[in-house]
Amino acid sequence: MRQLFSFSLLSFFSLCFAFLATAADYHEQLVLRPLPLSALLASFNFRSNTTLSAFEAHNFRFFPRSLGQILQHAGTRELHLRFSLGRWDAESWGARPWNGAREGGTGVELWAWLEADTDEAADHQWLTLTNALSGLFCASLNFIDGTRTTRPVMSFQPEGDHPNATDTNTHLLYGVLPHEVVCTENLTPFLKLLPCKGKAGIASLLDGHKLFDASWQSMAIDVRPVCPPGGEGECVLEIEQTIDMVLDIERSKRPRGNPIPRPLPGHELHCDTSKPYHSGDTCFPADSTANQDWSLSQVFGKTIKGTCPLTDPNVPPVCLQVPDARSVYISNGALEKKNQDGVSRCFEIEPETTDFELLLPSPEDLPADNLQAGQEVENIVKPETPLLYAERSFTGHGQERGGVQTILRNPSPDKEVEFIYMESLPWFMRIYLHTMQARIEGTSPSDHDPLIQEVYYRPAVDRARGTQLEVRMRVPAASTVFLTYDFEKSILRYTEYPPDANRGFDVAAAVITILSPNKNDTRSATYNLRTTSLLCSLPTPDFSMPYNVIIFTSTAIALAFGGMFNIIVRRFVAADEGPEVSVGSLKQKLIVPLRRIFARVKPGPR
Amino acid sequence: MSARPPIDNDTAADSSTVPTVTQDEDAVIFDATTTAAATVTGTGGGTETRDSPAKKQPPPEEASDVRRRTWVILSFWLVVVCLGLPIWWKTTTIYRANLPLDEMLEWADGKACRPVFPLRIAIQADSLHEQEAQNLLRLTQHALDDLNDFSGHHLRLQLSPPPANDDDKPNQNGDDTALTIRLVPGEATTATLDPYAPILDITYPPNTIPSATSSSSSLAAYVANQLRSTFAEEQAIISYLLSTNSMPSEHRPQGLTPEAAESLSKRTTRSLKYAPTYHLTFSLLTSGPLPSSWDIEAAIDEYMKPVLDVLSPIHNFTIDTQVQLYATPGVQNQVLNKEDLSSFVNAAEWPLSPSIGGAPTVNFILFIGNQTIGNPAELAESHNPDNESTASPSWLIPQWGTVYLLSLPHDTTHVSVSTLKQPLLTFTSHLLSLTGTPQSGSLPLRLSTLSRIRSADLLLRASSTLGSLARLSLALPSISIPSSVADGVSKTMAHLRLACETLGGAEGLEHARIAEAEAERAFFEKSMVGQLYFPDEHKIAVYLPLLGPVGVPLVMGLLNEIKAWRKRRRDRAEKAAAKKKE
Repeated sequence: MRQLFSFSLLSFFSLCFAFLATAADYHEQLVLRPLPLSALLASFNFRSNTTLSAFEAHNFRFFPRSLGQILQHAGTRELHLRFSLGRWDAESWGARPWNGAREGGTGVELWAWLEADTDEAADHQWLTLTNALSGLFCASLNFIDGTRTTRPVMSFQPEGDHPNATDTNTHLLYGVLPHEVVCTENLTPFLKLLPCKGKAGIASLLDGHKLFDASWQSMAIDVRPVCPPGGEGECVLEIEQTIDMVLDIERSKRPRGNPIPRPLPGHELHCDTSKPYHSGDTCFPADSTANQDWSLSQVFGKTIKGTCPLTDPNVPPVCLQVPDARSVYISNGALEKKNQDGVSRCFEIEPETTDFELLLPSPEDLPADNLQAGQEVENIVKPETPLLYAERSFTGHGQERGGVQTILRNPSPDKEVEFIYMESLPWFMRIYLHTMQARIEGTSPSDHDPLIQEVYYRPAVDRARGTQLEVRMRVPAASTVFLTYDFEKSILRYTEYPPDANRGFDVAAAVITILSPNKNDTRSATYNLRTTSLLCSLPTPDFSMPYNVIIFTSTAIALAFGGMFNIIVRRFVAADEGPEVSVGSLKQKLIVPLRRIFARVKPGPR
Repeated sequence: MSARPPIDNDTAADSSTVPTVTQDEDAVIFDATTTAAATVTGTGGGTETRDSPAKKQPPPEEASDVRRRTWVILSFWLVVVCLGLPIWWKTTTIYRANLPLDEMLEWADGKACRPVFPLRIAIQADSLHEQEAQNLLRLTQHALDDLNDFSGHHLRLQLSPPPANDDDKPNQNGDDTALTIRLVPGEATTATLDPYAPILDITYPPNTIPSATSSSSSLAAYVANQLRSTFAEEQAIISYLLSTNSMPSEHRPQGLTPEAAESLSKRTTRSLKYAPTYHLTFSLLTSGPLPSSWDIEAAIDEYMKPVLDVLSPIHNFTIDTQVQLYATPGVQNQVLNKEDLSSFVNAAEWPLSPSIGGAPTVNFILFIGNQTIGNPAELAESHNPDNESTASPSWLIPQWGTVYLLSLPHDTTHVSVSTLKQPLLTFTSHLLSLTGTPQSGSLPLRLSTLSRIRSADLLLRASSTLGSLARLSLALPSISIPSSVADGVSKTMAHLRLACETLGGAEGLEHARIAEAEAERAFFEKSMVGQLYFPDEHKIAVYLPLLGPVGVPLVMGLLNEIKAWRKRRRDRAEKAAAKKKE
């Protein structure tokens, strides 16, 4: 909890800075946190503001013009866009960064509050917004159509302040593209939105090769209006760009010129010498991966190119969360400041510095006396236990029916967790709502004290909209709950299959919003998480079918017609009465007209 | 099977392997050919002729059977022709709305409308008597008509009543007066254009007033010359526009020299396509981290707003500004030469995306860096004919915008209004050039000229789009023409007609604009393109498996029936002949 607290404290402080110093309209920060199993979490955060008056006058300074234009054109009040890849391994990495508020499910996720008078107008603006964003971010966001758009009721709450918004003219729309593959073409426009363009400051570390090689990564863009508390001062429009990535240190350190892993020569292997069978030719790999040393240039391929001159000087650009006992080497021109919590330190970089390098030596390299004491001291900050673990999978077999099972585990020994579970399913998965049930592991579903407290369900309409299912439920302390329901698979039309139909259809991640235990504000979320996306296989036809059908029916019709026609029209006689047919007669039939033609042609020229 | 006698078995086998040649007509034909073969080949036909006497003839067919077969074949063909073909035709035909092709081509050829710009010029001569003024007017009109060689551009003089009050603003009586000439007695004959209003001040020595009887007057000739030179550019541009479009040669004005035509073509290609709204984007691009802010709003208000206000009857403007740091230009040379200028704008990296509202975007880039333009005078000559800003380190990119290079001290963090003055003045003059404003004359005159040029341009553009659409529909018979296209065409033509009637006024511009938009919409109708990619091979692949096996028995049946019918007729004729002989 302590680390989580420090993390939120840090973001809280930076938030305060943003409020206090309106002159500093931009700040950026990179938080590095080594994770167990040789992983490294890097959280990049860029935040810039513009006053609403400047925004409405189309004067853009830190706020990107290309995005601002789109927001104005589509009447967007608040926007959240996520590009994610990979899976957050909660069992070993613990709680998610930013409490899960800055991540999306695999693929692209977009939700926005639009200002429109009617639902139709909102849909129209949503279409404009997705199409424009699709062009800006080089993503297939324009495929977010009616079937992939839902209007969540309970799951999402606006993050910004909307002073003069009413419920009737603000519409929340949510769209998700689980199939979208996030890649470098999405990173480039993302970097272009930054004031320093990835040429200076922490953004200079971002490189498509490393980012999309990560075990898990999430790019987020959040635009929200923020008004100073108390009502004095002008409201600002804040854009926050976040990139979180979990790098496998071992993998990242592999040189770029030699990216293929090859077996190490025997003498370079780290062996666990305590094993009884250890000898010259047997080696049990030592679990030294947790204590690997790394430097910025090793894991990111480059160093930080100075600081962005626009950034708020009060916010240190780089922070590292390791126990204070570990020593860190930094390049000249930077200053280390240890925070009071004992598990994090920040680095201030002087403006003239051109390259900032940070090296975290492995604990083995430390002097011996430190190591002695370090047996008890953790080498890395122990990850925080998340409030809830969630896992979702398909059950059942066959091409016709299936089921979905979500396993929700509450690790806390004494606290109950209340949350909203949201699914937006494609229309071709028709769920049977009556089969939905939640049961605690080891017990049968019971009526008293139900786990499911509230269900919001909007059934799918074929080819027009998807299923929207929001369930408010709770998981008692230290127990595991199974949420299951069954569904039926529809048969698609021939043209509705994608080119790679046999791969299956992606089903978007379920969004779990954990509500604050404080009953007074049940609406506010304390922690978000998303399950992995699923791959649903539908019965897939053979795609040469139409041509086969044409040929087959034509042949059948021709056979039937030919037979019938001949029976009606022809005269049947005995075999010896009919004309004689043999090869010789056929030849004669052919040769005679040909001869006639030759005879006519030959004398022609004379 | 086994119970049957073997001879039956053989017959069945024979008839099943050769089912198509068991007809009696065939037998007859067969006989005919074998005899023919026997006569032609002589000895070779021996084998066939030897067997023929042994052949059994089938019993003669009953007449009712023959008739029934005829009916069967006829009814099959009746169904195919009367039901099958129309259904096939109806379901596969492509909808083509009726377009008034002739009329459209007429518009494109300029036969439907002759653009005429009647310009009314008021003469205000308070110091002259009515009679004298009328006389002067007549003489001047005469002189003008003599000078004018282009009938499309017509200056018509009229006497304006003396203003009731003494304020300097004419045009109170009507907006359609293009220019007011104010005749004031003075020392010598001089002419000056009022810079703020469409007024030409002409002073004249009192003795130059023509008498009532004189047929020529130096003052009249002078006024006529002045008027002509004032409108010379407009006339040249309009005649250039007409000549580049497919106007019939008799309407084409003469006297446009190739050099003049070339400079005009340069200027027209530089100007943006007409749109009611333009979006102006001001970008401060810096090669390094500084400066990162500018007083652009105040600067625009001070230096550019007046011109935008003046242009507002013709165009609306929306403005946005942005600051972009660490912008790398496309060319890294310290000194830029002429070739570098075209690739200076780094389109891949600079976020200069056009506005999404649909209005064309004009980009004004202020680039802070230490690059300079080599030999600015020469470049200015070719890129920037406006003499006012020869030395400015800027260049105009046709139909796109302007780049202005500014070098500032390294530690400048803020660009002030005074620093922005020169760039913004340059941007303003380039904006006028980008909108296609003519370059000579006072500003109000240039603007009224602009609106006339734009109407003519839009009118011609819409006409030529109509022509293209007509030619397209003629050239591609397989293209579908939905009714929305026909709608658009009729709307276009209605507005073109109105525009043609009211050419030169504000209404004319509006009609021409609507006509152009409708014509473009009709031409770029999406559903017209879809049918194009349905190749004939595809159709054959779909039809052949069905039509082949069905069509062959049908056709063969018909052919055999015709043969049989002809044979029957011949037999009947022979019989009749034999009867006659008897």
